[in-house]
Amino acid sequence: MKAYIIKRVLSMIPVLFLVAIFVFFLIHFIPGDPASVMLGPDATPEEIDNLRSELGLNLPIYQQFFQWTANILQGNLGTSLYMNMPVLEAFISHIGPTLSLALLAQGVSVLIAIPIGVLAARKRGTSVDSTFMLIAMLGMSIPSFLLALILMLVFGVKLQILPVAGYESLSSGILNHLKYLILPALSLGAIQAAVITRMTRTSMIDILSTNYIKTARAKGLRERVVIYKHAFRNAFIPILTILGETFGSLITGAVVTETVFNLPGIGQLVMNAITRRDYAVIQGTILIIALTYLTLNLLIDLLYGVVDPRVRLNRK
Amino acid sequence: MGNQYLLEVNELKTVFSSESGPVTAVDGVTFNVKHGEVLGLVGESGCGKSVTAESIMRLLNEKHTKYDGEINFNGRNLLSLTNEEMLGIRGNKISMIFQDAMTSLNPVYTIGDQIAETIMIHQKMKKKEAYNKAIDMLKLTGIPSPEKRIHEYPHEISGGMRQRVMIAMALSCKPSLLIADEPTTALDVTIQAQILDVINELKEELNMGVIMITHDLGVVAEVCTRVVVMYLGQVIEEADVDTLFSSPLHPYTKGLLKSIPKIDGDRNKKLHTINGVVPSLNNIPNGCRFAPRCTYATEECLNEAPLLQVIKDNQKVRCWNYRQLLKEEVQNNATTII
Amino acid sequence: MELKTTAIDNVNISKLKNKTKLERRRLLVKRFLFNKSVLIGTIILLFLTLFALFAPLITPHSPLAMENANRLQPPSSEHWFGTDNFGRDLFSRVANGAQVSLTVGLSVAVITAIVGLIIGLYASYYSLLDHILMRVCDALMAFPDILLAVAIMAVLGPQPVNVVIAVTLAKIPVVARVVRSSSLVVKEQTYIEALKSQGASSWRIIWKHILPNILSPLIVQVTYIFAIAIILEASLSFLGAGIPAPNPSWGNILLDGKIVIFNASWMTIFPGMFIVFAVLGLNLFGDGLRDLLDPHSNKSIK
Repeated sequence: MKAYIIKRVLSMIPVLFLVAIFVFFLIHFIPGDPASVMLGPDATPEEIDNLRSELGLNLPIYQQFFQWTANILQGNLGTSLYMNMPVLEAFISHIGPTLSLALLAQGVSVLIAIPIGVLAARKRGTSVDSTFMLIAMLGMSIPSFLLALILMLVFGVKLQILPVAGYESLSSGILNHLKYLILPALSLGAIQAAVITRMTRTSMIDILSTNYIKTARAKGLRERVVIYKHAFRNAFIPILTILGETFGSLITGAVVTETVFNLPGIGQLVMNAITRRDYAVIQGTILIIALTYLTLNLLIDLLYGVVDPRVRLNRK
Repeated sequence: MGNQYLLEVNELKTVFSSESGPVTAVDGVTFNVKHGEVLGLVGESGCGKSVTAESIMRLLNEKHTKYDGEINFNGRNLLSLTNEEMLGIRGNKISMIFQDAMTSLNPVYTIGDQIAETIMIHQKMKKKEAYNKAIDMLKLTGIPSPEKRIHEYPHEISGGMRQRVMIAMALSCKPSLLIADEPTTALDVTIQAQILDVINELKEELNMGVIMITHDLGVVAEVCTRVVVMYLGQVIEEADVDTLFSSPLHPYTKGLLKSIPKIDGDRNKKLHTINGVVPSLNNIPNGCRFAPRCTYATEECLNEAPLLQVIKDNQKVRCWNYRQLLKEEVQNNATTII
Repeated sequence: MELKTTAIDNVNISKLKNKTKLERRRLLVKRFLFNKSVLIGTIILLFLTLFALFAPLITPHSPLAMENANRLQPPSSEHWFGTDNFGRDLFSRVANGAQVSLTVGLSVAVITAIVGLIIGLYASYYSLLDHILMRVCDALMAFPDILLAVAIMAVLGPQPVNVVIAVTLAKIPVVARVVRSSSLVVKEQTYIEALKSQGASSWRIIWKHILPNILSPLIVQVTYIFAIAIILEASLSFLGAGIPAPNPSWGNILLDGKIVIFNASWMTIFPGMFIVFAVLGLNLFGDGLRDLLDPHSNKSIK
């Protein structure tokens, strides 16, 4: 197991390197001179020159890259030109709403999706199955920002029970905090729930047709035990993969959903940075998110070891 | 009939509902199993032998399956039992082992967990006791150092070992009937013999009845006392093992027996094959189901279905022409001897 | 059995083969029509295509003409979908937006399919290349697609072509991975080994023998990519980083509509409906196609 962890961590290094290269070069894809683009048309040649040397744009490209990487390894993601603060600090000050939103959306969607997926698999081919699958299909086909707008319309105009914009941090009380997050989480979680429901159903159907499920039934086990003890533990393995992979779409959705509901999260940070051409913030944010994604998937790979003994032992 | 039979399958009919209409996979099958007897259930794949077994265990999805007839086990008709009552029978009174030992054990639980689970639910034992019992069972099936094996996962042991684990699991509650569905097909020849020996020994020890489902007549010769030959969902011949091998009556049985290679046979001679393939269940022939492939088929065979007739010595056959064939055979033998 | 087949003369065999081929094709057509997902998906997509092609022609209004007097008019016989906050005809904008969205989606689907196919096929064939290409894919996939697209748009500037580039770049790794894993399976088959031992060139093996076997998963995957591309384009435009104003796209109509959502809900409802429609149609089509092409999911219920 230890060797497996080490091997898996080491295999991340080339990917990290490539991620870094990509983020670094992003700024060099800007047509024309990045410094003058960043400062806008009103900048004096002097200001542009200053920024060029500040960013190290006069150095040869490989030196710039090493300098940049060395800074990152020391935790220095650069400075936001507009906000006048380190990028890392800006990121941390915006992570709260995004994290709450993502966790709430993911948590609720897993709690809803897995039982429904299992049920649909057991009732395969019945009207219960096709109804849930139709709903899931619909859920998959509504982009989260569109669902957000629809929820806004319904709750803002018709029902008026939940706030349709704004944010209160956790320090203002958990209920207050959640009140602002319910609609965003609903719009973000719907697509997650749809994807997980479909995955759970497919996975369960596969497992339910295996020989060891027949063995479990032949042992005289109750259907409940067959489903949850014998089938689900096996079916959970591909579901786990999906949970890792959908993290990306969760962040994606969060970025757009935040702008709809006016949540001061990462999405807002990035979108503001784009309108202000604050490239250091864009670079720093997507670098951190990519790292988070990779780490999360590493953790999930390690979790396989817990769920599936074949992984644990084969790679000893 | 009294209580001399452990299991009486009486005119069993198993019908699946499918997209293209109902499919009768088992059509009026009748046979009995006594205590301490090994009954062979023989036939090509798709003849309904596995479905018969799964009907006895009531393992088929009952939403899409209809049964007819009776399956009397110790005097109770299994087909009329509730699901709850069946739970107490499966794995306890009747056990089943499957063809593919490689995939028949749950990959995420240890061997010990899986054997002990059966013991715990049927014998209301504590976990510790159940594990000790599991170790005893593994010992009985000839697995070396079972105390260690019990903590291993299925993928860590060989196919032969897995089948032994399956047997240990199936027999852990001392069932009175064991259904073995092609238990040796997926195994190496040397291991096959060992597994059959284990089943045979434990049968003696527990005085169980065994239904041995197989397409391998070698297995039949080795372990079975009586044989039921199935073709396309029906029993076409039933006899004790010696009679079947020495004087088979049905042309299909004869074909099966002739297609076994003989060690002292002529190597240049082509092996006997039965022409054609088993028709699908959606397309059952009108008359005798075997007629389209039978070299002796007459007009009558193609138009009218024969019944299973009792001949001598408890031998039964479903064929219009068996008498005729018997006569010809005697004559042929006579001419070759002269 | 052996004797029997040799007894049949060759003419008969080729006739038989032709017959089964025809039979199979007929069966496929039949299954296609009986597969509700594919059928409904096809109808939706057909409708949308016709809408995108002809709706801009039948409306008398230009999608860009502003009539200040007619701002935020609800749907009427004159303006079927109402007007937006600049007094532009919404039906015309949604219809033209359909052209933009479908064109962007289709371009992304075609380009990712071709590039992903080449990368996936060659990666599966040469193991060193596989290591390099798959690490690159891992790295690209570490960026959430919208962030990657937004970052690229920020750098390249809001242009329809750049939307295609940004979304394509985000989705190529997905297609490449699907192609790679399917062709790895094919590559392990005995007949590929046999071809290799006969000295067939790698070009021939890859394009003539592996390619036909991985087309079904590729087509299914590309259908989903089409759907995702429509969502991504709409999201980018909604964020103001996609199709630039004043040109209409479903996403930027929704962006305009967001400000006035409580006064002019039609600006949200009509383009939103079309997005859901398009994505639903593609998802249904993809699901149905997968069931049709994958013999696994076709098992009859027992």
